[in-house]
Amino acid sequence: MISIEEHILQQSNARGEVVIDLKDVGKKYIIHHDKPTLAEDLGRLLQFKEREEYWVFRNITLQIRKGERVGFHGVNGAGKTTLLKIIAGLTSPTEGQVRVLGKVTSLIDLAAGFHPDLSGYENIFLSGLIIGMNKAEIISKLSSIIEFSGLGDFITVPVAHYSSGMTLRLGFSIAIHSDPDILLLDEVMHVGDVEFQKKSSEAIKTLFEKGTTILMISQFVDYLKIHCQRILTFSKNS
Amino acid sequence: MQEGIAVLLLVIDMVISTKWRHWLDFLIVMTQKEIKARYKHAVLGFLWIVINPLSQMLVMGFVFQFFVLVRVDNYFLFLFAGLLPWNFFAQSLIKATPAFFYERNLIKKAKFPREAIVLSIILSNLFHFLVALGLLVLILVADKIFIEGYVFSQLLLYVGRMMWLIPTMFLLVIFTVGLSLITASLNVRFRDVTFIVQLAVTLWFYATPIVYGLNLLPEWFWPFFYLNPMTFITELFHYALLNLPITLIEFWWLGPLIACYTCYLGVVVFHKENKDFDDWL
Repeated sequence: MISIEEHILQQSNARGEVVIDLKDVGKKYIIHHDKPTLAEDLGRLLQFKEREEYWVFRNITLQIRKGERVGFHGVNGAGKTTLLKIIAGLTSPTEGQVRVLGKVTSLIDLAAGFHPDLSGYENIFLSGLIIGMNKAEIISKLSSIIEFSGLGDFITVPVAHYSSGMTLRLGFSIAIHSDPDILLLDEVMHVGDVEFQKKSSEAIKTLFEKGTTILMISQFVDYLKIHCQRILTFSKNS
Repeated sequence: MQEGIAVLLLVIDMVISTKWRHWLDFLIVMTQKEIKARYKHAVLGFLWIVINPLSQMLVMGFVFQFFVLVRVDNYFLFLFAGLLPWNFFAQSLIKATPAFFYERNLIKKAKFPREAIVLSIILSNLFHFLVALGLLVLILVADKIFIEGYVFSQLLLYVGRMMWLIPTMFLLVIFTVGLSLITASLNVRFRDVTFIVQLAVTLWFYATPIVYGLNLLPEWFWPFFYLNPMTFITELFHYALLNLPITLIEFWWLGPLIACYTCYLGVVVFHKENKDFDDWL
């Protein structure tokens, strides 16, 4: 089990509505040492073996108001990503209640939605729709997305021929244009070369100013201290 | 004309809510991806839509004509009319079953309507199916006009009967969607389902009257075919395209009933399993 410690760096002036409301949330995983097969299930039934269960965390109660920026920090395997996944609706909590208001975009993996055989241009639509944009919205932001990615003529080339940096730049550009109410960042601020990093941190700053609610995971406490109002530190205690 | 379409789109836009529009947009783009990506780097490209069933028909027709399997004017046409819907069904099911598993990277990282993964595979197959079916219908109609010399009223009757294809296709699609949703959802937990489906499809082919006619079997055997909605669908295709009779009247209510129930069950199973996909992939 893990415990979570909260540091409040600056009293948030936000007296806005609560957009993320977690109440006694817990997540339990069943450990499979191998693929879950029918044979394994039968074996367990015959031997009356208990399922191996594992609580990542329990009794998490957390309220985040509109416009707050909250940092998540802590050791590997402490459940930071699992908590973000629950907030993003990617997985359901085993117990407790979760209420999230507004459009959530998660930048957990920038290139996950790409199809390698399709061009960058075609992938903007695919990936944009996956992270929740409308087609009309994508069309209106198309030139801006292409410009921000800095891909130029490469936009008509299949993504399979991109360098990894180019792929991430396109992914970041699409995500930053999705204009979410709540943005989840999982160690993705350090994308591309120095010049693109400058551009991307500026883009994230613009979102800060817009009053987007932001939850970010980072190993760099200093980074979180600069940008966040609250930091949640996850630590394991046995 | 163009203005008319623009106005129509605007009206549709207002009627459909944002959520549904996103769902529809997403499904369309995913389907386009499936269609485009499949024939990239294939020299013959979209010709494969026709080459595939055509060569299948030629080989099977050549082999099976030595056995008296069915008494029709043209055994090759009989085969082709049954093979087209079967190929749509079998290919969709086999490709859709492991689809959630293959897209695990996406499912674990982004929130989107996951059913679109399965539906887009089926829709892209439907597109291929419609192209091949359209060609078959053209050839059949041309045959009736130029070779058999149908007069206008005869032709009207013939084309009128082809309208049965529309409800038949609908049945076929909802049955395929239902079954694929079930197998794809269960496959997330039990990867055995992929193998079971591959085996089942091979056996199922012979349990469906595609290479033979139902009337060749002893009558006591027919009720077992009731349980297979593909029997009804294949016979409807034979009826609509080649004017062969439906063997049993009970099919008329049992076929649609099983197809609809399968679709309903598919949606239920998917909704129940969908919540835990992330944990199992």
